Amino acid sequence: MKLKKGDIIVIIVSAVLLLISFFIGLAIKKDGKTVKIYEDNKLIYEGSLTKQKTVKLAHNTVNIEDGKVCMKKSDCKNQICVHKGKISNSRECIVCLPNKVIIEIE
Amino acid sequence: MFAEQGNNRNRVKKLCFYSVLTATAIIFGFVESLIPLSFIAPGIKLGLANSVALICLVAKDIKGAFLVNISRILLSALLFGSPFSLLFSICAGMASLLVCSLLIRSDSFSIIGISIAGAVVHNIIQTVVAIFVVGVGVLYYLPFLIISAVVSGAVIGIIVMIVSKRMKKITRFFG
Repeated sequence: MKLKKGDIIVIIVSAVLLLISFFIGLAIKKDGKTVKIYEDNKLIYEGSLTKQKTVKLAHNTVNIEDGKVCMKKSDCKNQICVHKGKISNSRECIVCLPNKVIIEIE
Repeated sequence: MFAEQGNNRNRVKKLCFYSVLTATAIIFGFVESLIPLSFIAPGIKLGLANSVALICLVAKDIKGAFLVNISRILLSALLFGSPFSLLFSICAGMASLLVCSLLIRSDSFSIIGISIAGAVVHNIIQTVVAIFVVGVGVLYYLPFLIISAVVSGAVIGIIVMIVSKRMKKITRFFG
């Protein structure tokens, strides 16, 4: 088993590609996730997950705290949205069907 | 007439040889799916199936390598895959084999280097296809894939080197 000159070139080129892809990956990195709150299909609030905020809607109260979102209060009967608890991962969502509220993380 | 017969026999021989190689490649692809490498990083695999095409390249049979690889990709997509996986593997497989077949013409690359180059190109092309399908986000993943490609490419290169050395003793395929 002998490595030839070309093999070293291949390894060097791969290392360069590795660095390039690493830096491209860093460059396109978006920091943080955004929270979107919809009420009756209209976008009511959009903001960073890390920003602390309480959003009051017609029938609901949404709390954004410590990078997590939860439905604080809701006047609906079943309270499913409140019992869902805190969400923090992207593409998770809390839905309150009776009040037509959707909280989404992107 | 005898010459024609000889020619025919040669063609049948080659057909059989390619069929055996294709079948081996498909089995390799299946065996590989049983080896759980995903705990290192999801989607990583050894690339055993590609070693068959590399063996063809060692024998300086570029046409055979393409033939075996295309039929391997089509058949394994038909057996285990989906149209999407076919899209991924045919783009990446053809591109990496193209690079390998260009490199084998030059004498300054050993089969290990060629294998590494093929593996790296394979992963890059798959990421490019994934960018079109999934989105730019998959680019994060490319550095890990390149590292794994260099390691697995070297392993496959060494395997191919050993196997082709043994195969030279039992078949005249290598000329």
